Amino acid sequence: MPRSESDIAIVGYAISPMLRRTDQTETMMMLPVVAGAIKSAGLTKDDIGFTVSGSCDYLSGQAFSFVSNVDAYGAWPPINESHVEMDGSFALYEAFVRLLQGDIDTAVAAGVGKNSNSDPSTLYTIEMDPYYLTPLGADPWSLHALQYRALLDSGKATERDVAELVARNRASAKENIHAQVSGDYDVDELLAADYIRTPLRRHDLPPITDGCAAVVLARGQKAYELCERPAWITGIDHRIEPHLPTLRDLTTSVSTTRAAKGAGLAAGPVEVAELHAPFSYQELILAESLGLGADTQINPSGGALAANPVMATGLIRMIEAAKQIIENGKRRTLAHTTSGPCLQQNLVAILEGDE
Amino acid sequence: MADVVRESVFRLQFPFQRTLGPTIGAFASALAEQTLIGVKVGDRVITPPLEYDPENGADAGTDFVRVGPKGTVTTWTWVPEPTHLHPLAHPFAFAFVLLDGADTPMFHAVNVGSVDDMRIGMRVEPRWRAEREGRIDDLEAFVPATDDGPSDGAGEPWVAPAELSVDHMEMDCDLTYVDNSAPATLIWMQALLDGKLLGQTCPACGRTYVGPRGLCCVDAIELDETHLVEVPDRGVVTNFTIITPTPYPGQTETEPFVRCSILLEGTDAVLNQQTVLEIPASEVRVGLHVECVWAPPEERNVDDVGNRGWGVGGDCMRGWRPTGQPDEPAENYVERMM
Repeated sequence: MPRSESDIAIVGYAISPMLRRTDQTETMMMLPVVAGAIKSAGLTKDDIGFTVSGSCDYLSGQAFSFVSNVDAYGAWPPINESHVEMDGSFALYEAFVRLLQGDIDTAVAAGVGKNSNSDPSTLYTIEMDPYYLTPLGADPWSLHALQYRALLDSGKATERDVAELVARNRASAKENIHAQVSGDYDVDELLAADYIRTPLRRHDLPPITDGCAAVVLARGQKAYELCERPAWITGIDHRIEPHLPTLRDLTTSVSTTRAAKGAGLAAGPVEVAELHAPFSYQELILAESLGLGADTQINPSGGALAANPVMATGLIRMIEAAKQIIENGKRRTLAHTTSGPCLQQNLVAILEGDE
Repeated sequence: MADVVRESVFRLQFPFQRTLGPTIGAFASALAEQTLIGVKVGDRVITPPLEYDPENGADAGTDFVRVGPKGTVTTWTWVPEPTHLHPLAHPFAFAFVLLDGADTPMFHAVNVGSVDDMRIGMRVEPRWRAEREGRIDDLEAFVPATDDGPSDGAGEPWVAPAELSVDHMEMDCDLTYVDNSAPATLIWMQALLDGKLLGQTCPACGRTYVGPRGLCCVDAIELDETHLVEVPDRGVVTNFTIITPTPYPGQTETEPFVRCSILLEGTDAVLNQQTVLEIPASEVRVGLHVECVWAPPEERNVDDVGNRGWGVGGDCMRGWRPTGQPDEPAENYVERMM
């Protein structure tokens, strides 16, 4: 299908090293990544029509860190700038919508998280429902273990299925220069590991990662000027379920199914799906909710189990799905981001290359 | 002499008082009476109750019914090493408990001796704390039910009293962060300990940033040790405010005090939030020449210096005192607040 001036594509990107502990601030993590993404599209900062970043003050523990982070854009003369307290893929969504207004033709979206400053077991407990969950210390390990057991009890998966997907993701991550965790693992050895919260084992958790990613979006003809094979975002949708996990069927993801429908997944097969499944077993729930078959390769990057810079992990899924089109000649790919406990919120984007 | 600080621990605490409203307040008031309730929404009973129907956001109303006290475990996990946030200090289970008469489960702890005592489908009942204040953790934990029978009273209407006995809750947010000092921050710390001011000059635009921040925020390029410059510890006041202390936790000032911006001599770098010494606050003015008063080397430390707030002098700079030179014309400086 010929592209129009209201079609929007990913035309450039950059990803920082994925580290357990950086000695840099979020701003300094962002600086080379934003510059790298802009350069990869053959642009300079003054060419960019709109910038938007995703980060969370609570991760680094710095009030208004998102304001400091604007320094990474070189915001003088004044720029058009926005921020979401969410993953950078939601920032990309805002940039996408902004570009649809038609008055600008380029935008940058970034996500950054200095996760090593805080302790996830206390931080995400504070983020839960303040009346019914936080006073009980409902930590992410426990909530996700409950979801994992519900999945096992439903008969849709076994612990071996999950260990196999952990081994597959870690093996895939060997080819990913941005992986923090990778290598060859024996499924039986994985299954022999202790539980940290039955049935969750340590290898079912994402690593703690400091990292950043940025993309450049372009609209219409501009995309062809900046990229030989743009990754067109032909559909993008974001759906949210009730915040209390007790109100949901945790063995499926209705919001993922609906977001996929909104993004137009059904219009054709996808060759590669980059799914944001920070807890291993969630990949199975997502794949089923998306209706992905054996002809779709899932997470050739190793996914969030390879590196999980919260606030950038979803944007990296978007980049990995775009790379499959821009660099590997794939025709149609899917990128997914989740947010909130037990797959509460889900964003699905469909990316396409030209025939 | 003190050393640079490579890692700093800081604790973020917010004491919140939350009002509960007609629905969560009703649940909390019932808890204090050792009663569990849900709200009837359409043909479902949602427990704990919500003010809205999670299916469509419609007002859930206040058609409350008693649920439990017994229930059935629908999924569970074992917590082998509880943290200070958990309701029990010894290993326990977290579970979804579907209370008798409810259609949605409730998240809570189950207190049993061992992981081997847990299974999906097990029947449990609440164990209440002796002292209750209307919080979800008034219910200390569920324990295995003493008999196999159904709950008494489950599904019966529960009418909220005209005046709820519990209408708010205290909730302390308490988070600890361990930040590490960025390379530019370490350079600034060492300079302060050495009793000098350092900046970084951008090779593109020529602006000097004091203290070093590792980047030029105009040109968006990285700056490193090759861009370091020493800048004078003398300057001119460009702006100021007189702060009348109001009592708040942690406030140590009792008398009105000055915070001012200082344009360092021969540079375009402004230090903000600086203290003026040796003259009354009322005599501070734009155009005043000042010089830095350094603490003696043995008294200097950079414990308060971190990646936040460039130009913070820690306990190395005591403040700035007038040099006695004639004032500069104020109109030349008022544009240099930052």
